[in-house]
Amino acid sequence: MIEIQNVTKRFQDKKVSVTALNHVSFTVNQGEIVGLLGENGAGKTTLLRSIATLLTPTEGKITVNGHDTVKNPDEIKKRRGVLFGGETGLYNRLTARENLEYFAALYHLSKHEMKVRIDELSRMFGMRDYLDRKVEGFSKGMRQKMAISRAIIHNPDIILFDEPTTGLDITASNVFRQLVMELKNQGKTIIFSSHIMEEVDLLCDHVAMIHKGDLVYHGSKEQLYKEENSRDLNYIFMSKLVRGSDSYAI
Amino acid sequence: MLFKIYKKEMKDSFRDKRTLLLTVFLPILMMTALTFFYESLIAGNEDETYTLAVETSISSTQEMILAEMENVELLKADHPETVLEEGNAHAAIYFASDFDENIQAGEVGHVEIVGDTFSDKSATLMHLVQSRLTGFEQMIVIDRLQQANVDPAITQAIGVEQREMNAENSNTMILAFLIPVILSIAIGVGAGPSAADLFAGEKEKKTMEALLMTPVHRSTLLLAKYLTISSVGVIIGFVTLAVVAIEIALFTEHIKAAVSFGDQTAQILGIGLLVTIVYSFFVAAILMITSIIGKTVKEAQSYSTPIMMVIIFPAMMLLGVGVNEFTIGHFLIPFVNLFTIITELVFGIVDYGHLLAMIASNLVCILVIFIVSRAMFTKDKWVLD
Repeated sequence: MIEIQNVTKRFQDKKVSVTALNHVSFTVNQGEIVGLLGENGAGKTTLLRSIATLLTPTEGKITVNGHDTVKNPDEIKKRRGVLFGGETGLYNRLTARENLEYFAALYHLSKHEMKVRIDELSRMFGMRDYLDRKVEGFSKGMRQKMAISRAIIHNPDIILFDEPTTGLDITASNVFRQLVMELKNQGKTIIFSSHIMEEVDLLCDHVAMIHKGDLVYHGSKEQLYKEENSRDLNYIFMSKLVRGSDSYAI
Repeated sequence: MLFKIYKKEMKDSFRDKRTLLLTVFLPILMMTALTFFYESLIAGNEDETYTLAVETSISSTQEMILAEMENVELLKADHPETVLEEGNAHAAIYFASDFDENIQAGEVGHVEIVGDTFSDKSATLMHLVQSRLTGFEQMIVIDRLQQANVDPAITQAIGVEQREMNAENSNTMILAFLIPVILSIAIGVGAGPSAADLFAGEKEKKTMEALLMTPVHRSTLLLAKYLTISSVGVIIGFVTLAVVAIEIALFTEHIKAAVSFGDQTAQILGIGLLVTIVYSFFVAAILMITSIIGKTVKEAQSYSTPIMMVIIFPAMMLLGVGVNEFTIGHFLIPFVNLFTIITELVFGIVDYGHLLAMIASNLVCILVIFIVSRAMFTKDKWVLD
């Protein structure tokens, strides 16, 4: 379970203070898939980075399975996987297998666990043909598959995806969606941000909407449809933003 | 975990063509070029032939004075200075038209030598001509004194004899200058790409974020990366020294004679390797912090390049300082102490007090830089884009 309690994050850039998150609170229960929606710069990545223990909240606190992200980050790191979309940073001079082995080692997997997991993931993503090739010649789709595999190499309970299908072709996007469904069946807790409403509609059972650092909605997707009297997530998102900010104009 | 990260970083670094080029080929190329250059420089003076431009109208007496100089060819021309300017002679000489008559008459015979003191060959030839004319002048003076029934010994009030402290001093000094310059440049330049890649490069490629997601402590990551940069530096340093040693032993005669350590060879080589390790760790610490500051490889390199250029200053500072003039201060200042320690070693001097001062001062600097780097590496500002 992830509990976000009154979290505020401010960035100080020289003399200017920017509030990326403003008193955000919500809870994600075990096995839920939450779609995080918001425009560019709304605070989605900051929130995911904070849950991932990469950023420290200025105010409030986040707990993951009871562990505080600031006080006990190491416990959380072992149990969560993270992928920041569009940032498929891989070691180009290493092979795909070497990349995965390196991260498996960093997550303290034994040699046997490492082998089993790499076999499993390469089968799942169809990466067997290029597993022993250097990453430098990979297409964006191949790189994205590699990055997803790396994010879940240690079989985490909680997975954070930040715009994971950015730049993926249709086939790779479908593979990703199938993976999320499979992870859901395995009882994993997933939060992922996306601009693609169809994807959120297909995969998520809960939705959180952020606008300029403020949480404008959090709840079940079905409840949202009922409240808004519409099943058009795109329309609902836009109307929520209009209501969430006086200055917003379509 | 430290070793796993270190192993991966080393593998990644050595798969980079730039690292391979800078760790193996650059030291070999630089050392080979410089070793042969200095060997020819040292040996060169023995067999070098110089061309002296003289006027076509030169008398047989004047020609005879100059003909006694070894390795000097006379080139007759209507305008010797033009020949010199055209680069066909190393110096030119003009005898006054009344030179022979004045010498015969017991008066002063005037001579003008034209040359370029910035050119080694020209300066050497001018010195040779000057010496020859001084010798000829002494001969004339003795002759004139004898004709006046005066003992020529009366003109010599003081007998001065100048002797070099070390017969091979100048050749050894060249090596003492050459080795640390090449070593410091090779280590600085060679470890640079790895250093820039390991921090700034990881930020640029977005792999740093993935690394920080793992449960590995940042201090472990920092240390493993620091050890990688240091190892690359040490390998470059060892390759450089090995190339120098092999080339001097196999392909040189004069340099080899200048650096013959006898029974001390193993000891001096061992200390040389130790100094290389310490210096590599020191340079790696500097390169590491510039890479942490840089957001991209290019930015990191723009910070490290001026620092690496500072390396040359100690060499300039110590150019006119003799090996016996070094003070303890010379062994306490990082960068400078690489030059002073290696100069001592090249001269066959092993002073453990100086060595300890060099190692201690570098270790203190490494520790301070590492503590600052660690503090920076734990802050999001320096590790996240």
